[in-house]
Amino acid sequence: MSYNRNSRREFLRKLACVACSGGSAAMIPQLRMIGSALANTKALTGYKALVCIYLSGGNDGWNLVVPFDTPRYNVYAAARSGVYTVGGANPNPGGLGLAQPTGGQIAIQGITDGNDASPSTNQYFMHPNAPELAKLFQPNATLSISKKLALVVNVGTLVKPINKTMYNQSAANRPPQLFSHSDQEDLWHQANTNGSAVQGWGGLCGDVLQPQSTGNAQLSSCISIAGANRFEVGMNTVPYQMSSGGLTALSGVCNPTPCAGVSTTSIRNGALNNLLGDTYANDFADEYGAVFQRGRDLYNLLSAGLTATTLTTTFLPANNSLASQLQMVAKMIKLSKAQGLAQRQIYYVRYGGFDLHAGMMSGNGNHGQLLTAVSQAMNSFYKCLGADFGAAPGAQNEVTTFTASEFARTLQSNGSGSDHGWGGVQMVMGGAVNGGKLYSNGDLLTGFPNQDLTAPNNFSRGQMIPGIGVEQYAATLAQWMGVTSMTDLNAIFPNLPNFPTKNLGFV
Amino acid sequence: MRALGKAVAVLLTSCTFVSVAHATVHDHLFANAFDIPADAPASAGAAARFLTQATFGPTQADITRVMAVGYGEWIDEQLAKTATLSEPNVEAVINARIAGGQGTSQTTRIDRWLWQATYAPDQLRQRMAFALSQIFVVSDQNGAIGGDIVPMAAYQDLLARDAFGSYLSLLSDVTFSPTMGKFLSSFHNQKANCTAPNVCSTNADENYAREIMQLFSVGLIRLDMDNTPMGGVITPTYDQTVITHTAKVFTGFTYSDAPTNPANFFGGGLTFAGQYNPMACWGSELFALSSNNMRHDITGDDGTAASNKTVLDGGLIAPNQSCAKDVSDELHIINQHPNVAPFISRQLIQRFVTSNPSKGVNPSPGYTARVATVFESSGGDLGDVIKAILLDTEARNPPALVNGDTYGKLREPLLRLTAMWRAFNAVAPAADVYGEIAMTGGTNFQSSYGQAPLEAPTVFNFYSPDYLQEGALATANMVAPEFQITNESSVYSVGNNYYRFTQGAYQGMANPPTDRPLINLSALTVNAANSVALVATINANMLYGSMSPTMQSRMTSLVDGLAGASTAEIAWSAIYVTMLSPEYATQR
Repeated sequence: MSYNRNSRREFLRKLACVACSGGSAAMIPQLRMIGSALANTKALTGYKALVCIYLSGGNDGWNLVVPFDTPRYNVYAAARSGVYTVGGANPNPGGLGLAQPTGGQIAIQGITDGNDASPSTNQYFMHPNAPELAKLFQPNATLSISKKLALVVNVGTLVKPINKTMYNQSAANRPPQLFSHSDQEDLWHQANTNGSAVQGWGGLCGDVLQPQSTGNAQLSSCISIAGANRFEVGMNTVPYQMSSGGLTALSGVCNPTPCAGVSTTSIRNGALNNLLGDTYANDFADEYGAVFQRGRDLYNLLSAGLTATTLTTTFLPANNSLASQLQMVAKMIKLSKAQGLAQRQIYYVRYGGFDLHAGMMSGNGNHGQLLTAVSQAMNSFYKCLGADFGAAPGAQNEVTTFTASEFARTLQSNGSGSDHGWGGVQMVMGGAVNGGKLYSNGDLLTGFPNQDLTAPNNFSRGQMIPGIGVEQYAATLAQWMGVTSMTDLNAIFPNLPNFPTKNLGFV
Repeated sequence: MRALGKAVAVLLTSCTFVSVAHATVHDHLFANAFDIPADAPASAGAAARFLTQATFGPTQADITRVMAVGYGEWIDEQLAKTATLSEPNVEAVINARIAGGQGTSQTTRIDRWLWQATYAPDQLRQRMAFALSQIFVVSDQNGAIGGDIVPMAAYQDLLARDAFGSYLSLLSDVTFSPTMGKFLSSFHNQKANCTAPNVCSTNADENYAREIMQLFSVGLIRLDMDNTPMGGVITPTYDQTVITHTAKVFTGFTYSDAPTNPANFFGGGLTFAGQYNPMACWGSELFALSSNNMRHDITGDDGTAASNKTVLDGGLIAPNQSCAKDVSDELHIINQHPNVAPFISRQLIQRFVTSNPSKGVNPSPGYTARVATVFESSGGDLGDVIKAILLDTEARNPPALVNGDTYGKLREPLLRLTAMWRAFNAVAPAADVYGEIAMTGGTNFQSSYGQAPLEAPTVFNFYSPDYLQEGALATANMVAPEFQITNESSVYSVGNNYYRFTQGAYQGMANPPTDRPLINLSALTVNAANSVALVATINANMLYGSMSPTMQSRMTSLVDGLAGASTAEIAWSAIYVTMLSPEYATQR
């Protein structure tokens, strides 16, 4: 009865691809075109990794970077219902505005936009809890950390470049289900505005890159340290999901499998392997078996090497989920490079708690605390890529880290926090990044957005209409990874033809 | 029709309504020990399969009972059982621990939940409460309620009490729960601060307004009764303007014991009861409209007291009303939306029976629509709804198993644990000196399983009802919610935990642990030398007789191969390997 699972699954997959029946393939016929330029493409060289840090809940990016010049700062502070102040003569505990840095804090928080030569408009400051990020952005005598961070400003989900008039003209001009966490997160993962896609842009990039790479075919080009995610699912790419704690043995059976000799352990191990190798008429059972089987195969492949892979860098904050996840990414990159497991890898980590409708400025889990963790963890990761990967610059130039989040938030306060918005600010970090710059020039709405709540680029509570589409942001990263044919890019990012600018130039 | 039915239901309090109505409507007047009921299961396996859907796992006693009285009567008996409660036990334990100078944690609540899941007689009610907790989500993973151990136990009880009442009563109780209020920040949400029409320095928090519609009632797109897009077209149910205006409704909430004279909106919560009793709303029922203590937003769309609030489907709520009236108006408007019946019905079907109702090979069309019709005609009576779900032909008569079958579902990892405990008569340890019965074995279920009661990562639950697992299922366009927490890492962490509850927790072992139940292996050890009989017991107790011939041969080989090992090791090995198997991981 039972035959080889992999052959059956491979058959089903091929069947799905040939017929393109159901799922996204039917809805996005361009996906069939992916990799069609393969024959003309040379094999990839070297190693590169893309690391997605997903900030779950909607990061209030408008408090990550703030205009420093007085006119724009005053507009910002008014839009945020005033500067957050407790105690004193004029408390404003409902305000969401950050204080303008003074004295020595200016050097710590202040940044200059390298894309803007005008001193009257190129001064900004970053959140006081993110000094490590500000330092990575600033020019620095220490070359390895000078201008390694770029800020992409007012990026969000878009069908095409729009302004408020176009927004109001037709629902077709805007993405579906704006302001909904789950839907907007899906659109960020997909980098398209198809409401029912299965695949994400990372996985589809994996589909293109994996066949051009040498490495171990068992290890997916997409690796998640944060569980299931649409971003890393491709037509042929299934993310390998691991824990930030690494790999643990499975109790009562052999690790790795099979084991030598006969024992009660080996008997159980054989029974389990047989059950996992069998095929099942019910697809839920069969898929569960396939996931489990993959877990066992990848344990065999990676466990010993991962145990032997050590890092000297201390990851901060201690006992922080994001820091632990990035530490595991660094380990996997180190192991993958050392053993030649892959030439292109896409990682996914996730950090939650950003849906700060209440307690944004104070209390347990407030925005400042979250940004402290993001700043320290990203900085630790970047340092590790230098210190733990041989001679300078180590792997710093081979790894590009970027943030994503379903939306930014209303500028206006609700008395304790901010509500769901749209366009926001994202960070890109790495040795290959053209850092020290704000990338804010969209094709229609350009420049750092006017934060006046009555300005035509936003809605009444300061939900910003994005100037830059997720497609442009993602396609820039995809091109750096080696997805360069326009055929592939347009298949992965079906809205990209709507945007004149295909590459934002930050990496 | 439905509006009328619901109006009647709402006039009666849920508890009275349920017990009286079901006692009269559902009695089998002629049932006695000698009749074979018309809807009796065809076999013990069929009964066990039903109980796999309806309880935390079949036991021999329940199998016997279902076979004696039939499905319908068994459900009626369950509907009539009063709720086994968490809060009294959890509060007593927490008080005793505090008095004894001990620390406190949510483990006390989880211990109680596991005990109820395993031993409470009101199994269907507890299962329904668990299903509802995955729709009306609150979670201690959120710092706002992470320390609220007793109030979260009270929230579990709210769901259990309301499990078979009217949907509108449940929605209202959830809305006024301070635990929900703190989780989705309607607690302490305050009116907009406006100086002129549409000139406001702050506006009301939109969190609860959004999620009550997106997740607790109508969802994002208009639906037909079978939960597919209305007329096959994607039409949004509401827009951002509706959210902004609805947010005004859910303002003014604080603790029931917050002092009003002198007034302190941020006071109260001084006792456990103060922390879990329904929130007070500081509207015109408590203060003059002009009072600074009036925290509820009496204004309408433009921030003035001369305009209406325009909410879902263009519903209007008049200005200058009391908070209670505003909230009641809003919940009635939501309750009458045609999406509610299919939206809630489909998710309940997914929790109990199958991930993709009326889809796949040889489907029976209309499962969701049939249940949604009962939802509507009963005025949202959730007892009638769960009965319709479990008695539907698609639940009771699964399609024949053929290649590419997509009927059924992946089982939740917690339910696979409780089912094993119940199958092998696990005995819980005695209560400790604080009155707590240890069940967890030190497990952090949220991190090991990706799932634990009232511990979802966000309001979006452990998994989405629309989650697509890449591969054959997604290609067939079949959703698979539980796969969102099932991956290469979790199968190991769940498996290792099952090992602790089998190899590491059976009666008669040397030095048994005292922090978890001990299972009874005797039903298996008696046949340790008879592999066919042993596997038959596994099949009956764990797989309702559905074990495939291939798996039977694998399991028989396992038992034969272990000949020479202790009878206990043979027994726990068979249970453990079954718990890891693809067939036990699914139900159909």
